[in-house]
Amino acid sequence: MNLSEAFATGGETAVIGMGIVFGVLIILLIVLQLFKVIFYKDPAKANKAQTAVSEKVVAPDPVGITTEPDKEEDDEQLIAVITAAIAASLNTSTYNLNIKSIRRVSPGRPAWNRAGLNETINNRF
Amino acid sequence: MLESFVNFFGNTGVAALLSVDPVDAVKTIIMLVIACVLLYLAIVKKYEPLLLLPIAFGMLLTNLPMLKDSSAIMMHAEWFTVDHPDIAKIVSNGGLLDLLYLGVKLGIYPPLIFVGIGCMTDFGPLIANPKSILLGAAAQFGVFFTFVGALVISALVPAIAWGVKEAASIGIIGGADGPTAIYVTKSLAPELLPAIAIAAYSYMALIPIIQPPFMKLLTTKKARAVVMDQLRPVSQTEKIIFPIVVTIIVALIIPDAVTLVGCLMLGNLMKESGVCKRLVDTAQNALMNIVTIFLGVTVGATATAGNFLSVGTLGIVALGLVAFIFSTCGGLILGDIMYVLTKGKVNPLIGSAGVSAVPMAARVSQTVGQKENPSNFLLMHAMGPNVAGVIGSAVAAGVFLAMFS
Repeated sequence: MNLSEAFATGGETAVIGMGIVFGVLIILLIVLQLFKVIFYKDPAKANKAQTAVSEKVVAPDPVGITTEPDKEEDDEQLIAVITAAIAASLNTSTYNLNIKSIRRVSPGRPAWNRAGLNETINNRF
Repeated sequence: MLESFVNFFGNTGVAALLSVDPVDAVKTIIMLVIACVLLYLAIVKKYEPLLLLPIAFGMLLTNLPMLKDSSAIMMHAEWFTVDHPDIAKIVSNGGLLDLLYLGVKLGIYPPLIFVGIGCMTDFGPLIANPKSILLGAAAQFGVFFTFVGALVISALVPAIAWGVKEAASIGIIGGADGPTAIYVTKSLAPELLPAIAIAAYSYMALIPIIQPPFMKLLTTKKARAVVMDQLRPVSQTEKIIFPIVVTIIVALIIPDAVTLVGCLMLGNLMKESGVCKRLVDTAQNALMNIVTIFLGVTVGATATAGNFLSVGTLGIVALGLVAFIFSTCGGLILGDIMYVLTKGKVNPLIGSAGVSAVPMAARVSQTVGQKENPSNFLLMHAMGPNVAGVIGSAVAAGVFLAMFS
């Protein structure tokens, strides 16, 4: 095989080959997009629909609120824990602190969790 | 007494080494040294030791000095490089490694390894972000680029005579997938098997060194710091249907890829269905380990001086590196294109994970991304192209087998 033949044969095979590889994977891409349509419900949309319904149901009945207190209690515990953690790291008492608001910063992954994951990944190299 | 001693001496390895042509004796010694260097890389440097150690020891075993036609010869590599190996002769006269090598020659081991890989693979990230499957396709670019490169080198260098079959086997190194490379090479160019297997596995171990410079070269600082949206949750139903659908689609288009893809999906279905826990446990541990030992030792054992000590081997080592680099670049360039088209929602670094070396390439994407943006977590996003790359390189293998076998 001389040089021009090599380029001709090689180029032709490469184009056909890349074409088939892309073709097969594009078909799989379309199938996976169908998966999303068929099997996946967007939780944001689903939630909206649900809250709309629950509001309608709950509104006339003031005693029907059952989930709210639980959630508040959880939040109170979380606030207590965060306050204690800040107090400990500042070397002071929780009485000297006045927590005004707590906001989650993105990404939603805590720093120690991230550090742990990084360590695991780097160990396996 | 003296006579039996002389007889005994005549059968020793020392006598065998002295009896052959000095050039061959030197070649034998060189091969033993290479085997020992590879053992050093496996044991001390820990380059893919689970594979490199059996391969290197297989190489050692096959190159031990033996008298011609001795019954102690474990492997007759020359019996397998002919077009139609005489199976009856191999079964009746072969040594241990000859018999085990039938598993490679008949294409049994690589698919069995794929069953185990399927059991360990989670296609969830791919199902959640289907577009990443294209990166798995783009990262096969190195396979075809190297195919052309091998043909060109063969045309330019008189000492190398590679046809399309050899070029295809060398190109498939760019798939960064050991079992796939072995599966293609044993069918198309069995005499190149040891060089190709060793190159493929060595470069896979070197991915954390090979990829990062090109990842930095082909992406901008801003693009590397992109934080991608969280993946959507994927239901069990989707994970169960996926392997079945993929097997059928691949079979409809490229039947030659079904042996590999089908076995991969069999393992994956066993895992995702959750109803064959015992089988999954065996496939991903015991079965895979047993097959890896057989595969490693016998592939190493094909590396006789005649097969291995040639200019071609140097060419394969060089082209293997080219294949890895261009596959990485193919994925990265499509990653860049997706970054532009999605207006900065895709981090192009996940493109390099499209070379299939699972999960090493995905970890490299993660590490490089984190250097730019310490709070970024790309690993799961990179797993999508990574597992797509396994399917992609199996399809590329199927293309070569369909065209040239």
